[in-house]
Amino acid sequence: MQKTLYLFASGRLRRKDNTICVESEEGTKYFPVTSLRDIVVFGEVDLNKKLLEFMQENEVVLHFFGHYGNYVGSFYPREHYNSGYVILRQAEHYLDPGRRLNLARKFVEGALANILQVLRYYQNRGKDLAPYIEPIACLAGDRLSLCGNIEELMAIEGNARAYYYDSFNIILEGAPFVIKGRSKRPPADPLNALISFGNSLIYTKVLTEIYKTHLDPRIGYLHATNFRRFTLNLDVAEIFKPIFADRVLFTLVGKKMIGSGDFKRHGAAVLLKESGRRLYVKELEDKLQTTFYHRRLKRNVSYQTLIRLELYKLEKHLIGEETYEPFVSRW
Amino acid sequence: MYVILVYDVNVARVGKVLKIARKYLNWVQNSVLEGELTEATFRALKADMERIIDPEEDSLLFYVLGNQKYAKRELMGIKKGGEEWIF
Repeated sequence: MQKTLYLFASGRLRRKDNTICVESEEGTKYFPVTSLRDIVVFGEVDLNKKLLEFMQENEVVLHFFGHYGNYVGSFYPREHYNSGYVILRQAEHYLDPGRRLNLARKFVEGALANILQVLRYYQNRGKDLAPYIEPIACLAGDRLSLCGNIEELMAIEGNARAYYYDSFNIILEGAPFVIKGRSKRPPADPLNALISFGNSLIYTKVLTEIYKTHLDPRIGYLHATNFRRFTLNLDVAEIFKPIFADRVLFTLVGKKMIGSGDFKRHGAAVLLKESGRRLYVKELEDKLQTTFYHRRLKRNVSYQTLIRLELYKLEKHLIGEETYEPFVSRW
Repeated sequence: MYVILVYDVNVARVGKVLKIARKYLNWVQNSVLEGELTEATFRALKADMERIIDPEEDSLLFYVLGNQKYAKRELMGIKKGGEEWIF
C-alpha cells in the first residue's frame, strides 16, 4: 500500500540517490519513492526542478499548504493515463444540462446519505438527533429528486449541511468546543477550523486518486467548471467528507485527544497549531488505511482504495457502461 | 508483503547497496532496512541489487513476512531510524 508523506519539517526537499530526501534541522531523512503516493507539504521547504522532474517520473503528486493551513496548490505532474475519449465523455456530460444535473444530484445524494449514516450512528449511541435527521432525510428524499437545476441542488445541500453542523453540538456534548454555524475564510471556532482542515485534506486525497485514473480533474459537475482550478475532486469529496473528515473530527474531539491547546487565535480566525495538524493527519491516515470487506468485489479494500473505486465507477458511467451510484456507507 | 533486508557486503559496495535499498525501504539501522513492498517492487529491488553485488563476496538477506501483523518488534537502546510518514 502506497503511503502519503506529510511534511511538517522545514528544510530542503530534494532528490538524492534516486529517492526522496528531506534535509532539515532535525537531520536528514530518506523516504522510499516506490511506496510513495503523494506528499503533503506544510513546512517551509525549498525544492528545485530536479525534484519536480523526479516526482513526475515516479508519478507522485505534491500538495502544498500555507502557513495558516490553507490550501495553496498542487504539483499535478504530467498526465500518464491519457485518454481523449474519457475527456470527451466528461465534457459531453458537463455540457448536456440533463446529464450534468443527474451526476451532480448523485454527488449530493451520496453526501447526504453518508451524513445521515453518521448521524444514525450517534443516534444509536443515545444522542437525541431526531430533530436533525428528519429534516435532512426530507431534503435527501423528495426535495432532491424534484429539483431541476444545479443552484437548487446546491441550496438543498447547503440547508442539509446547516442542520448537520448544528447537530455537532449534540454529538460532541461535553466537549470543550461549540459550533455556531459553519464559518470559513476564516474559521471562527476550533470545530470550524477542524472541518476546514479536514475538508481540504480530503480534496487533495481525491485529487491524488484522480491523477491515477483517466479522468480530468478540471471538469466537475456539481461545482462549476471554471478557468482556474480543479473541481472534479470537490464533487467526489462531497461523498467522503462525512465518513472520513467528520468521523476523524468526532474521534479527536470526542475522545479529547485534541484540546484548546492545539489551536491558536489569529485575529478573527481560529487555526490549528502544528501539534493539532499532526494529530489530525495521523488519525486520518489510520482511518484511510483501515480495510473492510467490499461486498461487490468480495475482498478487503482500504478506504483509500475506496476513493479510487468511486472514480472508476464514475468513469464507467461516463463511457456508458454502468450507471453511477454513489458509495453509501452501511455502518 | 513486509520485507526486512539485512546486508553484509564488501566495503566497496556498501554505499551502492544502501542507496538502492533506500529507494524501496526505510532505513532502520546500519545494514538493516524494512518496509512494505508489493510483489513487483520487491522483484525490482532484487533486480537492482543483482546488478551491483558480487555474488562471490556479498550477502543480502531478505526476510519476507506476509503481513506485519504477525511480527513483533522490540527495541532496546536508541531508535535510529524507522518508518515514519509524518515528518
